[in-house]
Amino acid sequence: MKVYEYVIRRLILMIFVLLGVSILVFYLARGFPSGLAPWAPYIHPKMTEEQIQDVKRSHGFDQPIHIQYFYWVRDILHGDWGLTGIWAQGRPANEVFFSHFPYTIELSITAIILTVAIGLPLGVISALKNNKLPDHVSRIIALTGYSTPSYWFGFILQLVFFYYFSLWGLPYLPSSGASGMEGAVARVTGMPVLDGLLAGNLEYTIDAVRHLILPAFSLAFISLGFLARIVRASMLEVMRQDYITLARSKGLKERVVVYRHALKNALIPAVTLTGIFFALLLGGAMITEYVFAWPGVGQLSLRAVFQGDSNFLLVYTLIIAAIIVIANLVVDVAYIFLDPRIKY
Amino acid sequence: MREKNYVLEVKDLKVNFHTYRGEVKALNGVDLKLYKREILGLVGESGCGKSVTALTILGLLPENAYIIGGEILFKGEDLLKKSKEDVRILRTNELATVFQDPLTYLNPVLRIETQLIEVFMLNKKLLRQAVIAKKAHGKNVTFSSLLSWKNELASESSDLKVSRAEIKKMAKHLCEDILGLVKLPDPKRILRQYPFELSGGMRQRTMIAMALARRPAFFVADEITTAVDVTIQAQILHLMRELRDKMDASTIMITHDLSVAAEIADRIAVMYGGNVVEVAPTVKIFRNPLHPYTTMLMKSIPNVKKPVETLKSISGTVPEMINPPSGCRFHPRCPFAMDKCRKKRPNLIEAIEKHEVACYLIGG
Amino acid sequence: MTSNSTKVRTGEWAARWADLKYTLYLLRKNPLVMTGSIIAIFFIVLSLLANVIVDPNLANPTGYPEFGGQYPFERKFVWNKDSIINWGPGIRLYEGPEQFYLGTDNWGRDLLKMTILAIPVDMENAVIITVGAAVFGTLIGALAGYIGGVVDEAVLRTTDIFFAFPALVLALVFAAMIGRSIPTLRLALLLVWWPPYVRLMRGQILGEKEKGYVEALRALGAGHLRILFRHIMPNSIYPILVQATLDFGGVILTFSALMFLGFSPSPSLPELGNLAAAGYEHIFEAPWLIVFPGLTMLIIALAFNLVGDGLRDVLDPKLRR
Repeated sequence: MKVYEYVIRRLILMIFVLLGVSILVFYLARGFPSGLAPWAPYIHPKMTEEQIQDVKRSHGFDQPIHIQYFYWVRDILHGDWGLTGIWAQGRPANEVFFSHFPYTIELSITAIILTVAIGLPLGVISALKNNKLPDHVSRIIALTGYSTPSYWFGFILQLVFFYYFSLWGLPYLPSSGASGMEGAVARVTGMPVLDGLLAGNLEYTIDAVRHLILPAFSLAFISLGFLARIVRASMLEVMRQDYITLARSKGLKERVVVYRHALKNALIPAVTLTGIFFALLLGGAMITEYVFAWPGVGQLSLRAVFQGDSNFLLVYTLIIAAIIVIANLVVDVAYIFLDPRIKY
Repeated sequence: MREKNYVLEVKDLKVNFHTYRGEVKALNGVDLKLYKREILGLVGESGCGKSVTALTILGLLPENAYIIGGEILFKGEDLLKKSKEDVRILRTNELATVFQDPLTYLNPVLRIETQLIEVFMLNKKLLRQAVIAKKAHGKNVTFSSLLSWKNELASESSDLKVSRAEIKKMAKHLCEDILGLVKLPDPKRILRQYPFELSGGMRQRTMIAMALARRPAFFVADEITTAVDVTIQAQILHLMRELRDKMDASTIMITHDLSVAAEIADRIAVMYGGNVVEVAPTVKIFRNPLHPYTTMLMKSIPNVKKPVETLKSISGTVPEMINPPSGCRFHPRCPFAMDKCRKKRPNLIEAIEKHEVACYLIGG
Repeated sequence: MTSNSTKVRTGEWAARWADLKYTLYLLRKNPLVMTGSIIAIFFIVLSLLANVIVDPNLANPTGYPEFGGQYPFERKFVWNKDSIINWGPGIRLYEGPEQFYLGTDNWGRDLLKMTILAIPVDMENAVIITVGAAVFGTLIGALAGYIGGVVDEAVLRTTDIFFAFPALVLALVFAAMIGRSIPTLRLALLLVWWPPYVRLMRGQILGEKEKGYVEALRALGAGHLRILFRHIMPNSIYPILVQATLDFGGVILTFSALMFLGFSPSPSLPELGNLAAAGYEHIFEAPWLIVFPGLTMLIIALAFNLVGDGLRDVLDPKLRR
C-alpha cells in the first residue's frame, strides 16, 4: 500500500489508542475518592448551594463515572479542557499546560542533541573495537548512564557544579530554574534560549544556556547509554555483512568502508530510536524537572498527581500520548525513506 | 624459464581459525602457481579451503584467522610479509575479486553509481591523466583504451590543471563505459538504481565490472556462476574469456562445479581437506586423473551419452577440520591407502610433464 | 576413522544442555559480565543477611528505646567523627563513641546500617515486580501469539495503550490513586512493566509457530497446551531472561524514584529512595544522605545491567559463532 494510506491507517489507530488512554486515566483520576473534587475549581465560597448544583449539573459532576466521561468528551470537543485546582490558580488546564510546555521542549531538544552527540560515537567505537579496551570502557560508561537514578545524578551535578564550585571560587552553574532574568525579554516561543536569541539579548541567552546545561546533561546521561548500546549492536551486525568484505576487497581505506558503507546501514535503527526517545523525554522528564525546579510540564504533572487534579492530568496524559504515538508514526515513515528496500 | 611467467605462487600456506570448539586447521600447506594470462580452475567440495585460500591471498581474512606459515609470492614479493596498508594498495589496482552472491555483496542502501565510482576514484592519478589526454591531446578515452595504458602512464606528466569536477566527470564516463563492456544495457539507468532493483545476472556483471575497473593483474572469481541460472552462467563465462584475452589478466576460478571448470579453465587444481592434491591442464586432468580423489570425482559425474547406471559416490564424508586425519587427509576414504599415507602428507610434485600430484602412489 | 568427541547425550535436553554450556563458556570469557555477576551475587547475599547483620530496630520510627523513645538528636547530620572536612555551616562534629562510616541522617541513625537494611527491601520489590511482570506478560503474550485472531488484536491494542505512556507517569497515576502502601506500589509498577514482555513473547511465539517441529507435534496428536508449554516456550525463553535481568535494575530505580517523590508509606522506612528523599532538603548540609543511597542503587542496577547486557550479547543468535 502507498505511504499515505499507511499513514492514514495509523492515524485512525491512534484515535483508538487515545480513547483507550483517556478512558484509563479518566477512571483512575475521577474514580477514586482521594483526588481533588473535579468541581472544586468551578466554585468559590460565595456561591449559593443552588449555584453549586448548577455547576455540577452542567459538567455532569453529579452523574456516575461512565456518564461523566461523556460529559467530559463533550466539553473537550467544545474546547473546554476543564479548570485546574488552586495549586495552579484555577486557570484552564490547557492554558496551564501550554504555557509551560515550551520549557520542556527546550530541555528535551537539548538533551536529545547531547545524547546523540555522545552516544553515537560511543556506540560506533564500541563496535569497531569490539571486545577490546575501548569497547569495555564505553560499555561501562553507557551502562552506568543507564543504571543511574535520575534524581541522584541531578543532585550530584548540582552538588558539584553549583555548591562546590561556588565554594571553591570556581565559575558555577545555576542549580534551578530556566532563567535568572525572568521577564527581561519578550516571550515569543516560550523557550528562554530562543527568545533571547530572537531578541538579540546576548546576556539573557547566555544565562538561559547556563541554566540549561545541568538538567539537559542529567537527562542525556541516562539515555545516551541506551543509544550507544543500540548503535553498537547495529554496527556489529553491519560490519559482518558480505558487502563490507567486498568494500574492503576494492582496496578502500578502512575509514571509508566504515563511514560510507557501514554507517548508513547501521544508523537506521538508531535514528528511529532517537525519534521515540524524544517523545519519551517530552513526557517523562518529571524527576529532572523536579530536581532542577525547571518550569516544565513534567513537574506540573507531579503536583497535579499529588493534588489529585484530574483535569490537568487528563490534558497532560492525552497530549503526551498523542505525541508518542505520532512520534512512532513519524519514525516508521522515516524508516521507509531511509531504507530504499522497504516498500509499503 | 617458466619462472618469469608466474604471476602468483603460493608455497606451503597454512591457515588456522580460532573457534570456541577448537582450532580449525583450514589450510594445511597449499601449493599453487598461477601463470600469466591463464584461467586456473580451483575445484573441490565445500569446506576444502578454496575460498580461504582466495581470502588469504587478498588479505581479507576475518579476525579469528591466523596464518601459521607459508609464502604468497606476487610478482616476486611475499604478500604475507607486507603491511596491511601495502596489501590494501595492491587491492586497489592489482588484485581483484568477484564474489558469489551479489545480493549480499552489494551494499543495499547505496546506488550502483556510488559503489562503482569509488573504485575509479581510488586511482586519481590515472583519472587525471585520462582527463589530460582528453583535453590536451584530444584522445577519446574509453575504458578499453585505458587498458593498454598501463605502461605509458608512468612517463606522462603535465602541468595542466585538472579540477575535481573534471576528474569526477571522467570517472562517471568510465563507469558507463565499463558497464557497457560487461554487456549491461542502458548503463546510465543502471547507475542510478539500487542493487535490489537489478536482476541476479545484472548484479553479478556489475560486480565483475567493479573488479575490472582496477585493471588487475590477478582476479579471483569465487563461485560466481553458482547463484545464477544456466543461461546467465554461459554469458558470464564468455565474458571471463573475453577479459582474459583483452586484459592479460590471470584468473583463479573457484567452483565446485566441474563442468564449469571444464568449460573455462586452462588448468585445474583440485583441493581436498586444505591441500591441493592435483594440478594439470584441463584436458589432461579429465582424461587421465592421477590422484585417487580426482579419479573418483571424475567417475561420479554421470555421463550423458552412456546408458543410466547407478550414481557412483565417494564413501565417507568430508573431513572435520578441527581434528583432521593425520598425514594425507584423504587416507580414510582412499581405497589405496598405505601405511605411510597415515604418517606424512605427500608433497605436490610434478609426476608427468605439467601434471602435478600429491600422492605416494605416484612418486613422493 | 575415530574422532575424539566426548560422549554425547541424545535428545532434546541434550541439545539444550550443550547450548547452555556454550553460553556459560562465552559468559565466563567476558570480564564485564563476570564482574557484574560477582557484585550482583554479593548484593543478593547481603540482602538475605541484612536483617541479621544489622538490628532492624535501629530503623524504628518511634525512636530508640534507650533514649526514651526519642531520637538522639546530637547525632543528627553528623559525618564521621574522625574526619575534619568542613561540610558547611551548621554541621557539628560528633563527640560520642560511635563510628559512622557513612554519616548519620536526620534522625541520628547510622546511614551505613540503614542502607544495609534498605537493600533487601528494594531487592525484594524488584524480584517480585520483575518476576510478576515477566510471568504475567509472558503468559498473555504466549496466548496472544499462539491463539491469534481476535485475542491477539485485543491484546495488541491494550499494550499499545500502555506503550503510549512514559512508564513513570503511569506508575505515578496508579500509585496516587490506589494508595501508598508497598503492595499497591508493587501492583502499580507491575502494571506498568508487563507490556514489553507481551510483545517479546508474542514475537517469539509467532516465529516459532511457523517452524517445522510444531507441525510435526500436531501431526503426532499433541494438544495445543502441551505444544505451547512444553515445547515452544522453553525455546523462546532466552530473550525473556535477558529482558528480566535488564529490567531488574530499571525496576529498582523506578521504585525508589516513586519513594523519593513521596509515595512511601512512612518517611522513616529504610529504603534507598526514601533515604535519599530525606536528604533532599538538606542536600548542601549533609550531602552524604543522598550520595550514598543513590550510589548503592547505582551499583546494584549496574551489576544487573552488566549481567543482562552480557547475556544479551551472548544470546544474540547473530553474534554467536
